Amino acid sequence: MSDKDVAALLDSSEALVVIEAPAGCGKTYQGANYARRAALASSRGRTLILTHTHSACAQFAKETRAVSGKLEIKTIDSLVVQAARVYHKSLGLPPDPSAWAREQGNDGFKQLGTHVASLLEAKPMIAAALADRYPVIIADEHQDSHADQHSIVMALHRAGSRLRVFGDPMQAIYARGQKAVDAARAQWDMLKTSGTFGELTHPHRWRSGSPNLGDWILQARETLKSGGPVDISGALPPGLSVIAADNTAQSRAGYSMSRDHRRPVDNIVNSAQSILVLSSQNDTVNALRAFWNRRLPIWEGHTREPLGKLVTALTQKAGEAPAVAGAAVTFIEEVCKGFSRSSHGDRFLQEIVEGCRKAATGKPALIQELARYILVEPNHAGVARCLKRLEELVENKTSGFTDVCIDYRNEFRDAIKLEHFIAPEDGLGEINRRRTYARPMPPSKSISTIHKAKGLECDNALLIPCDKVHFPGTDAARCKLYVALSRARRSLTLVVSAASPSPLLKIG
Amino acid sequence: MADKSTKAATAPAKAAVSPGADTAIIRQLTIERFRGIKFLKWNPAPGLNVILGGGDVGKSTILDAIALLLNPSNAAVVSESDYHCRESNPGFTIQAVLSLPASTEISQQQKFSWPWEWNGKEAIAPLISDGEGDDIPTPDVPAYRFQVRGTSEMELVWEIVQPNDDVEVLSAAVRRAIGVVRLGSDDRNDRDLRLVYGSALDRLIADQGFKPRIGKKIAEINLGEELSDDAKKSLQRLDDALREGLLPSGLELGLTSAQGISIGALIGLLASKKLPENSEATVLPLASWGAGTRRMATLQIAAATQTKTRIAVIDEVERGLEPYRVRKLIESLHSESTQTFITTHSAVAINAATDSTLWYLDPKGNIGELSQEKIKRQQERDPETFLARLAVIAEGPTEVGFVSYFLQKAIKGSPRDHGIRVCDGQGTPAVLGLLEAMSNGGLKFAGFVDSTTEDPARWRALKEKMGDLLFQWESGSTEASVIKLVEDGKLTELIKDEEGAYDPERRKTLADRLAIDDKGLDAIVTKAGSNLRAVIIAAAGGNSEGASNEQAKTWKKHGKQWFKSVEGGRELAQKAEALGAWPQIKPALMPFLNAVRAFAGLSVSEDL
Repeated sequence: MSDKDVAALLDSSEALVVIEAPAGCGKTYQGANYARRAALASSRGRTLILTHTHSACAQFAKETRAVSGKLEIKTIDSLVVQAARVYHKSLGLPPDPSAWAREQGNDGFKQLGTHVASLLEAKPMIAAALADRYPVIIADEHQDSHADQHSIVMALHRAGSRLRVFGDPMQAIYARGQKAVDAARAQWDMLKTSGTFGELTHPHRWRSGSPNLGDWILQARETLKSGGPVDISGALPPGLSVIAADNTAQSRAGYSMSRDHRRPVDNIVNSAQSILVLSSQNDTVNALRAFWNRRLPIWEGHTREPLGKLVTALTQKAGEAPAVAGAAVTFIEEVCKGFSRSSHGDRFLQEIVEGCRKAATGKPALIQELARYILVEPNHAGVARCLKRLEELVENKTSGFTDVCIDYRNEFRDAIKLEHFIAPEDGLGEINRRRTYARPMPPSKSISTIHKAKGLECDNALLIPCDKVHFPGTDAARCKLYVALSRARRSLTLVVSAASPSPLLKIG
Repeated sequence: MADKSTKAATAPAKAAVSPGADTAIIRQLTIERFRGIKFLKWNPAPGLNVILGGGDVGKSTILDAIALLLNPSNAAVVSESDYHCRESNPGFTIQAVLSLPASTEISQQQKFSWPWEWNGKEAIAPLISDGEGDDIPTPDVPAYRFQVRGTSEMELVWEIVQPNDDVEVLSAAVRRAIGVVRLGSDDRNDRDLRLVYGSALDRLIADQGFKPRIGKKIAEINLGEELSDDAKKSLQRLDDALREGLLPSGLELGLTSAQGISIGALIGLLASKKLPENSEATVLPLASWGAGTRRMATLQIAAATQTKTRIAVIDEVERGLEPYRVRKLIESLHSESTQTFITTHSAVAINAATDSTLWYLDPKGNIGELSQEKIKRQQERDPETFLARLAVIAEGPTEVGFVSYFLQKAIKGSPRDHGIRVCDGQGTPAVLGLLEAMSNGGLKFAGFVDSTTEDPARWRALKEKMGDLLFQWESGSTEASVIKLVEDGKLTELIKDEEGAYDPERRKTLADRLAIDDKGLDAIVTKAGSNLRAVIIAAAGGNSEGASNEQAKTWKKHGKQWFKSVEGGRELAQKAEALGAWPQIKPALMPFLNAVRAFAGLSVSEDL
């Protein structure tokens, strides 16, 4: 289907248009252009773009600046939070549902979505009011919508909003487990049949880089979709290279290679002006940071789990020094390297229990000093001051703290900023707002998980490691591999394992 | 399962409410500490609302509150006197729950306005039913909560309250889109006839570029050319003087705009008027016509904008209008589907407002509905009932005359001078309904009725509420109650007319009942014997017991010859006094008369 046909389909008066959009085929371009046309054409209301990530919001915002007054771009979660906040009484939730959602743990926002979906289901008047405001809705990356998010979008559609859905079942990397993957597929197939279906088929992302690579990736997508392995044994398109190199580290926390294996990998990373190193697991990303001696920073993405957890704990446990200290230690462990229970944490917590009274010198004295901040002020301000002092100790390479390294620098600095707010929840709210508007991009050379790189594009990418552990033969792994393959415009390097090959790759 | 399907078949008729209302409707109005009103909470009706009540109880304040809340610009100012007891400290709040059509752009504001749910009584955070079969389906009517606050710094803040009680700015654009049409009592207000921002005329013209274009045209006029020669010279001399004084010179005349006066304010509607002294019609500002015409014209302009969103508030609807035009105006307000609030002191207006909802505002700020079904007849026959300071609802004409006589004596003057009106309630069932409606509406009223065996519970409830202001004979009618107390020897005095002659018509009714042809007094007295009193009571009451079929019709009319008229009632009262019944009536009637005396500011008295 040509881009023109897709644009015409979007512009048509069809109530529901569903576009399957492989990565790099101009989905954002098509979506943003359609949003602009729709916004200009409509005499009332606003065009709403619903995304799943803040980075997608940033991209759409860049492309649609001219009509920003008649356009709203937000994540579906932020719409959910907005509705849940306004109707918290109806839903039996506290006044700040996002704080509530964080307290619920990992699926808190999903639960919030369930609540809001049932509200819209029961009260068509709310969907009707929203549909009046948003006569046109563009749902981006719809494959990432869980059932309730899908039901929310459909409620608005039923209430009268014209709906344009973009999605790619091959990029559904948030579904956990085979059941969820199957459900996501079924949801997409169902959607395809209930509206008019179109497909983007031109790999624009690679036009200025390696067009052949783009075609190859589209082909690889078809292969992965139909259940086959991607063949990298034969001739490769310009831009694609394969390095066979095995990880020899014994522990999950480490990553190492023989000198011979390592050399070509280093060459790629060192010679590139910019490169995004992609890996499929958090542990491996942390290990890879050590592997390159911490020269490459970790791309922290837009979601902030450690800070959210810290704030929740501080809100619930303010005043209880041991609990606050425990939350602080957990936070530092998560965002720093070289600060563990055994190296600092246990001593730190012991000081709190003993009231920081024991005479000490050297490293124990410094730990005592850090703990005292929390003992004096067992709340977010105390934690912030403690972290500020820790940062000084780390930066001055103070004895006892030379091994400590702040991996997630933004997360760490944002926690220090909490000091200036009366309540930690206020601080988190403000920090999240700033992050949404600042829309940061990864540093030119950095390491990222595939999840955090979803929606990003770069010139060069290195996918490491492509082995059986990271890419087993599941449908979820197929999606993850496709997302990783489709990030780079110019060059893509796959570091494959001969010892433990992934069943998704045919390496000959 | 079977249960559910039946429900599904019957319920939707009520449950299906279009999410967007066609007209703007104030569902609930809450006023706190605004002018004379300390607190008022009121759920007005969708169509025409007529607010009644005595002087200075705050009827106009309610209208002003609505107008201020929906004021089309932020330019309104408040003064100390807008605050209750002139105390600006806690500030005042006017809040309304409204149904709004989409055309008000309520969903298009900078911040999204999430709807509340209107449950018929209150705006609530939407209730999600738990899906149980026996749940009443909730109606799903969206509503919005607007408020204007007068702050302690005497500033006005318009806000929209979200369902989680967060407040956002309520833009003037939404208020302007609703378009309140206000006809105040403080005329010469011809605002809506001029092209002021947000006025009815402005909304009708709806041409954004008009004012700038006119401004440009006026700027192009060479005003200096139009000056007389002398004036030109004067201007020249000033120019020379300025030049000598090294001040700005090269003077010209042109349009200089001053703060507060816009071109729009200078532009208004003109209409041609034929004056008797001129043969040609003259074009005059519409604003120069009489108050009534101006107000009618304003409403016509508002109606011509074709929007269903407007809400009209009209103080003293009868102002400047002859009765026929009041009628016409009320009828035209009825024919609009839009919500309207009027106050009136006009019986004609009340009489015409039969399809509207009547409300009564008491001095304590309570506002109650006068149930349309129960008052309709009274509203048509005697609309003044609802304008009296104290309405005394009497059962029928006899009671009107009877109670009027004693009231006049009790307050030593005309009850009317005290705003007391004795009204004919037209029979026991109607009176009961009327009294109940007035009681619920909070109206000040008294009742004077026969004894009845019907609806004892309702009467008891009324008596409890009204106390001594409700008088009810212990048994029977007024006639029977009085006649049975007349001294034996004076019974025949009842038959006498005003001149003191034995009334031939009354004699005829007695002769009929005694079945004698001789209508002479002696024959009647002889034939009746000890039954005379009973026969008189039966005749005066129009009792048809014992009559043959052809007689019954005539017998029923007998009462007319006796006391069944206002005059008759008055006569009965006089005779009660003259013929010795008063001492026995007094104990029952005095508390009632004293209750009315108290209303007129008079102390309790033992006797007349």
